[in-house]
Formats: sequence, C-alpha cells, structure tokens
Amino acid sequence: MSVLSDLSNALAAAAEIAGAGVVRVEARPRLPASGIVWSADGVILTAHHVVEQEDAGRIGIGLPDGKTITAKLVGRDPTTDLAVLRAQATQLTARTWADPAALKVGHLVLALGRPGEHVMATFGVVSALGDAWRTPAGGRIDRYLQTDVVMYPGFSGGPLVDASGQLIGLNTSALARGVSLTIPVTTLRQVVETLLTKGKISRGYLGVGAQPVRLPDALAKQLGQETGLLAVSVEPGGPAEKAGLFMGDTLVALAGQPIRHLDDLLAALSGDRVGATVNARVVRGGELRELNVVIGERA
Amino acid sequence: MNNLVQQLNDEMSGAVENVRQSLVEIRNGQGAGAGTIWRADGLVVTNAHVVRGRHSLSVTLPDKRTFPARVLARDDRHDLAALSIDATDLPTIEVGDSRVLKAGQWVMAIGHPWGVAGAVTAGVVIGEGAQLPEMAVSGREWIAVSLHMRPGHSGGPLVDIDGRIVGINTMITGPDVGMAVPVHVVKAFLRAAGLEETIKPAPPTRGGGYI
Repeated sequence: MSVLSDLSNALAAAAEIAGAGVVRVEARPRLPASGIVWSADGVILTAHHVVEQEDAGRIGIGLPDGKTITAKLVGRDPTTDLAVLRAQATQLTARTWADPAALKVGHLVLALGRPGEHVMATFGVVSALGDAWRTPAGGRIDRYLQTDVVMYPGFSGGPLVDASGQLIGLNTSALARGVSLTIPVTTLRQVVETLLTKGKISRGYLGVGAQPVRLPDALAKQLGQETGLLAVSVEPGGPAEKAGLFMGDTLVALAGQPIRHLDDLLAALSGDRVGATVNARVVRGGELRELNVVIGERA
Repeated sequence: MNNLVQQLNDEMSGAVENVRQSLVEIRNGQGAGAGTIWRADGLVVTNAHVVRGRHSLSVTLPDKRTFPARVLARDDRHDLAALSIDATDLPTIEVGDSRVLKAGQWVMAIGHPWGVAGAVTAGVVIGEGAQLPEMAVSGREWIAVSLHMRPGHSGGPLVDIDGRIVGINTMITGPDVGMAVPVHVVKAFLRAAGLEETIKPAPPTRGGGYI
C-alpha cells in the first residue's frame, strides 16, 4: 500500500477523466488556448481574450480524439473574460460539475489545458475562497476563487478540476496579474445562458469618467455616506451629458442606490437598466440636485 | 487524515533518500551542477551544459569522495553528457519509463539548487513530447513539470514516485515550470555512444518461440 502512488494515480486519472471534456481552441495566432465542452451538442466555453479571430471558419476546435473541427462565436463577455463557441458536433463529451458548496480552502486541485494534442495538467491547492467580486472591467463574479496552480501557456479557458475529475470552474490569466483565478460554475452558467439566448451581455453606460471623493462632513452626515463619485470627464452626447450632468458634479446616488465607490456605480449600471430613466442625485456647489438619466448601453 | 499525510511524508522522504545515493555534484571550475550515477562502474549522466568549459571536471559522490572525471560522450543538441570516474560498486539509479508519463502524475526533481546539496522539489507532470507550446521550436522531446527547478538542478534526476529516473533536469521556462530531457532520449544517447549494452532477447529455442 502506497499512499503516494495512490495520490499520483488519482491525480493522473482525474486529469484523464476531466480531460475528455477539454478541447483546444485555435482562435489566435501562434499559441492555441483551451476550452471546456459545455454540452455534447457542441457548445464550448472558453476565455474571451484568447478569441482574437472570430470570422466564420477561423476558429478551430481540437478534440480529445485528435480531430479538428470548426466553430463559430456565439457571443463574448469581456467583463468576465468569457466567450461561448458553437461547434458542428453532436457527440462531444461534457464533464460533470462539482458542487460549489463542497469546495474548501486547502483542497487539492488540477488546472487542465489542451494547447497541444494532449491534455496537460498543473497541480495545486485552493488558496482562498471569498465573496462575490467585480473584475476591473466591471463583470460580477459570484465568488472569489484563488489557487496556486501554474497557468501554463495556453491554459486560459481550461477548467479547474477537483480530485475526482469534476469541474470547478474556468481558469483565465487575464482577470488578475500574478494570481491564478478561477471563474466558478455559478457565474459560468449565468453568462453561458445569457450569451446563448441574447448573444451578448448588456451593461449600462453613463458616459462619465469618475473618481471617488470625500464629501463635506455636513453632507456626509445628511446622506449617511462618506464618499461620492466626482465626474472628472463627461462624454459629449453621452447619457450623463444629455441628462445635464456637469464635470465637477459629485454623483451620490443612482436609481435610489447610494454611489460611494466605482463598484457601486458598476453595480447600478446592470444590463436590465439599459434604456430605463432613473434618478441621479448629484452634489453641485455644495447643494443636492436631482437629474433624470436615460441609461445607455455600453458598446 | 493525519496518518495519511504522515504516510505520504514517509514515502516521499524514502524515495528521495534512495535517489540521493546516486546523486553526484559535478564541478567544472566555474560552477557546479548535478549528475546521476548510471552504472556501478563509474558512468555518470548529466547535461552537456554542465560539463562545458576548458577546466578539468570533478565529480563528488554523496559520501564526499571526489574523483576527476572525463567526458566519454557529449550531445549538445540534446544537452546530454556521459562522464566516467575511476570508481566501482557505486549505487546506481533505477531507470523508469518516460514514455508512459501521464499529465497530473507526481514527480520530484533532485539536484543542488543554488548550491544546496541534494535539495528536492516536487510537483506534477504538465505534459510531455515534442509539441509543448513553449518548446515546439526546439523540435525536441521534453517533459514539462510544475515544480521549482533552479540553477544547480541541471543534470540531476527527475524521478517518479518510486524513485526511478524519468528525465534529466535541464532548464526552466518560468519560476514554476521546469523542463527535463526524457530518459528514453538519454538511453538513445547512451546507445548511440556505445555506452549502454542493449538487452538482447534470448535466442529462440528450436520448435519454440518467444512467450
């Protein structure tokens, strides 16, 4: 009885099992990346940043059996760095997803990729689990999941898998530098469903450049918040300018939600608000004003 | 749980202890690298870049005995070298099979990183072959491993969980990714140099065949 040999065999088996649902995504010059088979009928999930060539017939999918087929882009969400492809195939192997509630800090995991012909693996532990977070581009990820797996070249778009070979999420090296982050399955499901039905993820747009500033004490007490967002630029013809917002205004609430940081604003500009008229509360010359803004759509 | 981890620790340290018996240090007058005792009569295998230079070579065994060494064969393209020292009854390393490595399986690299004698780093096989994305231009076969190889690991063994050599630690492509020359390439190099007796199959007996 050797624990080490059991461990080694189990890791290799997990890579092999899960690897049957990992494909090569050829959609950029030189270095191919990886993708996850989402469903047997040809839906493939990968990272947005690895899909540089999206013209029909220019995306190649390398299957575990060695064949290469073509796929087309269904849609992409740069804010979560995800893209959905559809390949002309009906017999792909889609692997099962692990229960997100079972994942704990310290669990052993593998990152898989298929930048070449064969599945490749790196190994590590779950380093940190946390609350929902927002990417620098404004996408909301339902849970923070950091590991110490090595992101080998071409691993973006591949899965993080647990010791039994079940999928935990999608790895991408584009969301943060220096740490290995995984997008958990809950966010993947939301994005895939939206991209399959609508072809895009819409986000609201104001057309302001803003930075957080501290409010005067009296105003802070009155509003119950210490900071607001100072408009340092206003896009000509954008939704904010049309609503009468000036450079130098400090936005403190949008649609009834307090705006203290950039993150509050990104949260308030959700896709379902596009086209809606909402109330914007700003501080101008030390006084509060109410404006009506028609939320635009981010291109 | 604790027992399991304890057992894991014991097995890993046991494998390392065996491998260290046949791990040598090679000095070339400018720096040091590692090497592996391949045959009991003094055949040592290492990287070609470890034996480069005009200075004389010496090999230090785990028991601290130091011998002058001479180069029997060198292959710069595959970065391999075979040395001979005048010693006998040396502990040899067990040779594994690098053609059956699987992505995700456990391996350990042993050498003298930054001069720390016999230091170990462990991780998994990322992949192997001649098609690795970052090494494809080399046109050579490699084993990519996810562990912390450092200068001084060069020429030392990459071993599987049973302590069998599967590759020669050769280079790194990042702080967490090491590259080893597969042991089947090492065997081919030794064969081509006439340094490894190929095992001849027994002649067929009359009326019989191989079984």
